[in-house]
Amino acid sequence: MNEKLLAIENLTVSFDGFKAINNLTFSMAEGELRVVIGPNGAGKTTFMDVITGKTKPTEGQVFFKGRNLRPYTEHEIARMGIGRKFQTPRVYQKLTPRENLELSCVRQKHVFASLFGRTSTAEHRTVTGLLETIGLALKADIPAELLSHGEKQRLEIGMLVAQSPDLLLVDEPVAGLTDEETEKVGDLLLALAESHSIIVIEHDMEFVRQIARKVTVLHQGSVLCEGSIEEVQNDPRVIEVYLGQQPSISPHQMKILRIVTAMAWADGELSPEESNLLLTQLSCLFSDDREQQQQLREELRVYFLQEVPLETALAEIESEQERELIAKLSYDVIRASTRQGDPSPINQLEAIAFQELVKLLQLPPETLTRLEIEV
Amino acid sequence: MTVKSIETVAEIPQRITARKRRKALILEVAIVVVVALILLFVMPPLLTAIGQGVRVNQLGRFLALAIVALGIDLIWGYTGLLSLGHGVFFALGGYAFAMFLQLQPVPGQTPGQIPEFFSLYGVSQLPLFWQPFYSLPFTLLAVVLVPAIVAAVLGYLVFRNRIRGVYFSILTQAALIVFFNFFNGQQKLINGTNGLKTDTATLFGLQVGSSPIIQGAFYALSVLLLVGGYALCRWLTSGRMGRMLVAIRDDETRVRFSGYNPTGYKVFVFAISAALAGVAGALYTVQSGIITPKAMDVAFSIEMVIWVAVGGRATLVGAILGALIVNFARTLLSEQYPEFWLFFQGALFLIVVTVLPSGILGWFRTDGMNWVRSLIGRPQLVQTYPSLESDPEVVYERETLGDRESDR
Repeated sequence: MNEKLLAIENLTVSFDGFKAINNLTFSMAEGELRVVIGPNGAGKTTFMDVITGKTKPTEGQVFFKGRNLRPYTEHEIARMGIGRKFQTPRVYQKLTPRENLELSCVRQKHVFASLFGRTSTAEHRTVTGLLETIGLALKADIPAELLSHGEKQRLEIGMLVAQSPDLLLVDEPVAGLTDEETEKVGDLLLALAESHSIIVIEHDMEFVRQIARKVTVLHQGSVLCEGSIEEVQNDPRVIEVYLGQQPSISPHQMKILRIVTAMAWADGELSPEESNLLLTQLSCLFSDDREQQQQLREELRVYFLQEVPLETALAEIESEQERELIAKLSYDVIRASTRQGDPSPINQLEAIAFQELVKLLQLPPETLTRLEIEV
Repeated sequence: MTVKSIETVAEIPQRITARKRRKALILEVAIVVVVALILLFVMPPLLTAIGQGVRVNQLGRFLALAIVALGIDLIWGYTGLLSLGHGVFFALGGYAFAMFLQLQPVPGQTPGQIPEFFSLYGVSQLPLFWQPFYSLPFTLLAVVLVPAIVAAVLGYLVFRNRIRGVYFSILTQAALIVFFNFFNGQQKLINGTNGLKTDTATLFGLQVGSSPIIQGAFYALSVLLLVGGYALCRWLTSGRMGRMLVAIRDDETRVRFSGYNPTGYKVFVFAISAALAGVAGALYTVQSGIITPKAMDVAFSIEMVIWVAVGGRATLVGAILGALIVNFARTLLSEQYPEFWLFFQGALFLIVVTVLPSGILGWFRTDGMNWVRSLIGRPQLVQTYPSLESDPEVVYERETLGDRESDR
């Protein structure tokens, strides 16, 4: 308990009988960067509301540094060291970024300090440094309403940091941003993670992959599963809640599919030939029934769109037979594009990726030769 | 070495802006002093000389009303809380001072006699809460503190429960009606609907209503207290407090999550604004000769808001100008066309809302300033980049394509 920065026990929040959070247990160590994902209505925002004191739990407790947060109001919790960034950027529109940061930075936050207190040199310096960090030094003195959406997002993150909290709660920081801005925000969060504990709520899986170390999946107000991004992405329950149906193939089959798909993606695109070949081969492999094969083709097509790093997925495939199967399938796939009378025998990039794969598979030489002949 | 040089580079602009700010402040103080001196020493003789001596008294009253406008601007323009109940605080200040004047000994009467109107209702003993108003210092304190305390208590109850926006406005108006009915019904305590007359009272041996010395003194006092009120509001709205108020107006939730408790700030600013209204009420009462529950009329409190809207929200000078312009317009127009003033007032409010949403001063600071600059051949002021705002192609595109409906 003591080393945990944030611990939530059996938390339930209900609104008129509807349980937005249902018996949720969650904990987080100091210095961690945690990503919370979940489909719409999973209770992600309510989760943040409870931590920051905006909503009071119906049952259960939230402990921050070992203190029960129930009796405290929002501003008291904020003073304890929890900073929150909202989904849409909430900055003071009529104030300049510098003034925005200054207000958050000040230590003494009661009325008379605001009347008679002066901003100290140290605070001035913090603000100047922060403006530099969030890349707004040049726009420090124009009203914040004139900033772009991405700049406002960064300003709000800067305001959080100015509070010098121990825990940052960041709600969908990249919603509505361009790819370039998304990356900037990601870098900013990673830089902050070195000195702060952070919880990020996010929808954008690309972004999650950029920053995630440990992921918690919420579903219907409870924790569905927790783990690294790869573990979570391959968990059939997660796929089910995201795609709305239980995958009809086993997690194991899913892994095979992922690896082979990675081969097809090696050159950065999935050609229709490759995709067709994969669908036929895999659906035959996973099922004998003709009708089921047809259904599988539809379902599998969705999974092709998700990328996954090779090494981690491969490490979990143990049986020799399956390794062989993967090698064979992959070989078929990379040759698929060639069959259409392409002059170059095999796409260069895919060839390199295949060689890599074979190395990783560590198949005995005789199996390899047999495969070459067979194909 | 390098670190040091970077720091000095970063601090130079700060020093320049500090120097600029000091210069601007000195200029502002100079302007305020000049305006105050004109109001004190030039306007009264000038108006009397052109045969408009009666206007001096009006100007004094409207300057007092400008103090309320400052208070409204503080709470509405800066903090975003629309109070429709400032009549209560205005009346409390007015009544406090009127009670003091009523208790002043009238020459030729036996000292210690209670005000005349009490005998109408068969009251022979002075009500207990009148007693302290024999004392001038207490009265002066009460003029400021009674409205402030009432506002603080009301504000605390309202803001602690996070009542905001329209609900706050409705509550202040409800409070206004409660106070109005109370004052209206209590003949035995404060002469009910007849109110308290001050013009027949005597102060320092002089009759308040007819002595030019007393009236002159209260005119001067109005000017000085308006300057004082302006300075107070200027101080409140310029520093960190002012930024805090704007922050509360812009996004109160963000303020909470930044670790501030907005309740304290709102109670504070509501109380200050009520105190200003109280002072204004006292000054207005002496110069107009009577205070009645009419000061808590719903329409009057809404008018106060209109003054600020016309002058320009969140500009202190705008609030003062708005109060003076609207009130003089009313006086002049209702002298010419007695029945039409209300139509004029409605039209004025509509024009401000539709054409000049940021008020006269707000318009002048943006569009008006640009218009003046274009007359003397200077480039327009830009907020973002000249390349964006004054590029003819960009401007053309914005003007012709920006707001147009889709082509048919």
